[in-house]
Amino acid sequence: MFNFVGPWQRLTLGLWLLVGISLLFVDIDIISLDPWGELLRMGQGLLTPDFFATESLANALWQTVSFALLGVTFGLLLGSPLALVYRSPWVAASCAMVRGIHEIFWALLFLQVFGLSPVTGVLAIALPYGATFARVFHDILQQAPSSTKETLPIGCDRLSAYFYGKLGHVLPLMLAYVRYRFECALRSSAVLGFIGMPTLGFYLETAFRQGKYHEGAALLILFVVLIGTIPLWSRRRLLPLYLLAALFTLPKLTGVDLQLVWQFLTFDILPPGIREVIHGQQGLEQGLTRFASWWQRLTLEQALPGAAASLVLAVSALGLTHLLALLGHRFASMHSRGKFSMPLGQLLLLIMRSMPEYILAFIFMMLCGPSMLPAILALGLHNGALIAYLLTRQDSLVRPSEQYQRRGDHYGFEVLPRIYPNLMSLLFYRFEVILRETAIFGVLGVMTLGFYVDSAFSEIRYNNAFYLLIVTALLNVLVDSLARRMLAKRLNQGMAVGQVSCVV
Amino acid sequence: MPVNLSVKWLESGKFLTRLGLDMSFAKILPLIFTCLFVPATLAESFTFTAIPDENESQLKTRFNKVAKYLEAELGVEVNYVPVKSYAAAVTAFRNNQVQLAWFGGLSGVQARRLVPGSQAIAQGYEDQYFKSFFIANASTPLEPSTNFPNLNGYTFTFGSKGSTSGRLMPQFYIERNMGKQVKDIFTRIGFSGDHSRTIAQVEAGAYQVGAVNYKVWETAVANGTVDTSKVKVIWETPAYPDYQWTVRADADQRFGKGFTEKLTKVLLEMKDPDLLASFPRQSFVEADNADYEPIESVATAIGLLD
Repeated sequence: MFNFVGPWQRLTLGLWLLVGISLLFVDIDIISLDPWGELLRMGQGLLTPDFFATESLANALWQTVSFALLGVTFGLLLGSPLALVYRSPWVAASCAMVRGIHEIFWALLFLQVFGLSPVTGVLAIALPYGATFARVFHDILQQAPSSTKETLPIGCDRLSAYFYGKLGHVLPLMLAYVRYRFECALRSSAVLGFIGMPTLGFYLETAFRQGKYHEGAALLILFVVLIGTIPLWSRRRLLPLYLLAALFTLPKLTGVDLQLVWQFLTFDILPPGIREVIHGQQGLEQGLTRFASWWQRLTLEQALPGAAASLVLAVSALGLTHLLALLGHRFASMHSRGKFSMPLGQLLLLIMRSMPEYILAFIFMMLCGPSMLPAILALGLHNGALIAYLLTRQDSLVRPSEQYQRRGDHYGFEVLPRIYPNLMSLLFYRFEVILRETAIFGVLGVMTLGFYVDSAFSEIRYNNAFYLLIVTALLNVLVDSLARRMLAKRLNQGMAVGQVSCVV
Repeated sequence: MPVNLSVKWLESGKFLTRLGLDMSFAKILPLIFTCLFVPATLAESFTFTAIPDENESQLKTRFNKVAKYLEAELGVEVNYVPVKSYAAAVTAFRNNQVQLAWFGGLSGVQARRLVPGSQAIAQGYEDQYFKSFFIANASTPLEPSTNFPNLNGYTFTFGSKGSTSGRLMPQFYIERNMGKQVKDIFTRIGFSGDHSRTIAQVEAGAYQVGAVNYKVWETAVANGTVDTSKVKVIWETPAYPDYQWTVRADADQRFGKGFTEKLTKVLLEMKDPDLLASFPRQSFVEADNADYEPIESVATAIGLLD
């Protein structure tokens, strides 16, 4: 009976059913009574940005680039070999767990070991990025046609076969993906400033938190310009030069007290009860009882409610992202706007996607109060704009028929069906990212898992933080595998990797 | 493996050999790896950190002046490391990345528990009798009073999670006066992250009631950055001790006998208003660990410390 409802319509309906369910539980009250005073101050700040209020601004800009560059480089060193063995479910699962933890929390963990050192920041980017590279490169390599390999001369050594038969096909795809991740890394690098790395975020967060909007606006403008001008300054030939400069201008490295590291790993992050048993301070039975009560309390009071809130927030944001990506593409596509008025839409998308979600949420928090609404809006706008932008890049491949006119019905029949599979696969891929980003809103005060992790770190209870991080990672693995399974049914091999097919 | 044994294993060098083996794999970037494991003792300069309770702009510029003063008076190289949060300051203190820190009441207690033997040596003049203000949006019927207000059913925001004046003491007085836990009193609880945020959010009505550092409130009123027709002070807490300088236990061992004593003297003698304005305090007075016992017991009472 429902034969006329195609697989994409069904997937969309399923998505919105899920969104509908989460909207039943979501907390989207509008509370703020009188936000105008603060908004006026923000507006004034934006109109009269003060570029001289920040100390060592040039250094902060450079360090933002430098951390991103080093993070991506080490991520590549880590991820590329892993991509070759990604078929092993163990590698895939551990990579998914590593990806599931937000950069900010990796940094908070490394902070305990390496202190306020550039190693903390670079590793916090490199580790999750490496895990992402592993997965995406593996997916890309799978796309390579196997026919070339069969035509190679007999006796060709394995390395050459690999390079000419496989890598050669997909290298441009991989490079395009690396370029795209570099933009993400710039954003991550800035965000690491929130916890003390000397990047733009260090000053940006302080300025917004303390209501210094003139300074904040200036930093925000600089950040958007930095991301918008990547094609201008990040030339492939200059990269080695940048890398060397990044290595040599790193802030001073601090020493590592191995004894403290050891204590952190073998005592601080172990649950109470267990650690006393291991170190012989408590009997086994007593220790286990203590552990059980700790575990039960933490799970019931923090892990479960936090996980539920994270999911509800992420699914609601996914719905909004879907809508905004469709709208954004309609607005900025060359097939609906024409080449001349398209730049305006592109500029808007650039601003929206380079704005850190944190700042967006912060502004919406003032407007509509401390519910989940600011976080949903921020996530939806940011990711919607990002997906719309990636889709407009795919536009150049779409060739409408001769009769095509820039009208809704023509767009709906000719352009939309061609980009829709890509849109959906991007959306499902971004879901993992959205779920991870809910961590940031936890730090801002929305009661997601990130909120409890942040609290545990500020109460210096590393074992609580560690347990909650594991729960976060597991949740991510679960959701990711579900999303991939749902999508795999509908996409052919080439499309199943989503994020890849659209960065070219 | 017991800690002692494993530390011996670390020191025996087997660990380093193994590391050395790993290093040969990463030939491209030996630089990073060697730097990573430079022993902590190489840096022999005296480093401190400080987060002021208001105005965190231009941190380095302002506190480098303090560093210069200390350097001249102490005769050792002094550096300042900026941090973003109390927790980061505590971590840096524990890792021996800083030997001296300007802590809030609670973070000082946390730090001294993690580094046994470290001492509170001086506090701000104002910190002997610090207090928090409870502020309420004008749309609520709450009026200024010396009696604790009935806060049942309101929305409430603290400051940062690890703040003494924005979280610890307010939560303690709320729970003691209302006889139940905060989560059973308020319909919504927030952590604004900063005192000026708390003021802005209560003024905007995002939260009905909030708790704020009294000095930040007074500065905001004096500067006109708060509209007092929209938000007002409804109650103030009794006095408690807050910010203090804490120095690590091994300072004398590293910088010579009598260093801690000399440092205390130098801090107490800091009279330059320009330097003091960074904290901002009118002067520093003597303090010791015992002054902060009330903070410790309050933190234990509300479950922030074990």
